[in-house]
Amino acid sequence: MEVNIENTGNKTFVVLNGRLDTTTADKFMQDITPLMQGDNPDIEMDCTGLEYTSSQGLRMFLMLQKSVTARKGNLVLKNMKPQVKEVFDITGFSNIIKIV
Amino acid sequence: MEYNLDFHCQMILDEYRENMAIFEKMKEIVREQLEKCVSDNNIYVTAIETRIKTENSLAGKLELKGHKYKFLSDITDILGTRIITFYTEEVDKISALIDKIFEVDWENSVDKRKALDLDRFGYMSLHYICRIPKSLYYDAEHPELNDYRFEIQMRTALQHVWATMYHDTGYKSGIEVPKEHLRNMNRLAGMLELADEQFSRIRKEITDYRRNVQSLVIDGNFDDVPLDSDTFRSYLTMKPFKKLIDKIATINQAEIYEDNLMRYLTTLIKMRFLTLGDLQRLIKDCSDDAYKLALHQLSATDLDIIALSVALQNLCIVYIIKKGGGEVGLRMFYDSVFGESDYNIEHARRTFEQITKINIK
Repeated sequence: MEVNIENTGNKTFVVLNGRLDTTTADKFMQDITPLMQGDNPDIEMDCTGLEYTSSQGLRMFLMLQKSVTARKGNLVLKNMKPQVKEVFDITGFSNIIKIV
Repeated sequence: MEYNLDFHCQMILDEYRENMAIFEKMKEIVREQLEKCVSDNNIYVTAIETRIKTENSLAGKLELKGHKYKFLSDITDILGTRIITFYTEEVDKISALIDKIFEVDWENSVDKRKALDLDRFGYMSLHYICRIPKSLYYDAEHPELNDYRFEIQMRTALQHVWATMYHDTGYKSGIEVPKEHLRNMNRLAGMLELADEQFSRIRKEITDYRRNVQSLVIDGNFDDVPLDSDTFRSYLTMKPFKKLIDKIATINQAEIYEDNLMRYLTTLIKMRFLTLGDLQRLIKDCSDDAYKLALHQLSATDLDIIALSVALQNLCIVYIIKKGGGEVGLRMFYDSVFGESDYNIEHARRTFEQITKINIK
């Protein structure tokens, strides 16, 4: 699981690649921790390369969403593969996190 | 700066200059007390303004009517405060609270709302002349802080607009104003007074409506309760989707995340759910199939976290299919809930395929 983070003036761009499951969740958490503390709470995640997410991954997206909301920012997930989008849809997470 | 003042008035002006620090301290105390007062009592005001009369303004006043004042302490508006409220009732509430905080000089306080004759319209404001009581603040080196009086004006935002516009005409008293202009200004005052009354009435009606709706919801008279943001919010506190979401959660022993369902309100209204009774029937008629859909979607996965909205989402999906809305209806539903997007085409296609497999009609 690869997470590439790029900060610009007022937005943070993140590119996700790989599978987000039990084996990669800890590293993913480490990688996104700065996004939960930074003073740049507008985050755009490109999910083109995200192959799968497990419940653990959903929980981390939820933590990130809460942290961003608390800082009055926005989290947007983009270019999601159909199989990943389905996970968000059937768990109701499409109602919680903005997917475009 | 030198002014054209007689000896007596010059003495008053000198006293003003010497005591500026005291007025600054009074300003600080009064402002702090008023801010605390509105905040502690959950009163929302549009503004609290405080100002100390400028030297120029005081000199002008002394030039015009200095003979009226023996001492500086006879002038009651060196420190002036204005509280601007949204509603007329709040003027009354704040005035009652001010009476508890400061010493009100009733003899010199004026309720200009009552000062006008019944057939007249014009300046409407409540003016209190007050002192800071020793129990609130006392400095033995400056006991005069408790002697100087200050003015508090209380008025609504609309009264404030009128007074400000009137002031802008350059006239200080009604007597100076040319009759035609005075008549027009007073017509406006009457209109704004009526508007103030209407705003208060609307607020009271909304409060009554919310109370009434709450009791109808609690009593279970759902068919009598129209679906709107107040009633839906009240309805959600009864956790109407709990039974269904708990059942769905058992599929994978999932944790339930309680997300906000208010975002569904617009969509529900578009779907012609007009009363809470309609929602009750949705739950009664569609829960079994909504569960079957969740079972079909989740049982082959190990996803053990779900949002509360899955229950309402699946109920709506089942309702659309039962009403013959098909794939197009599902897409319209997703467009309404999530906003228009290409994802919704695939989402609707996939859901329709799943629904067909589990034979919901």
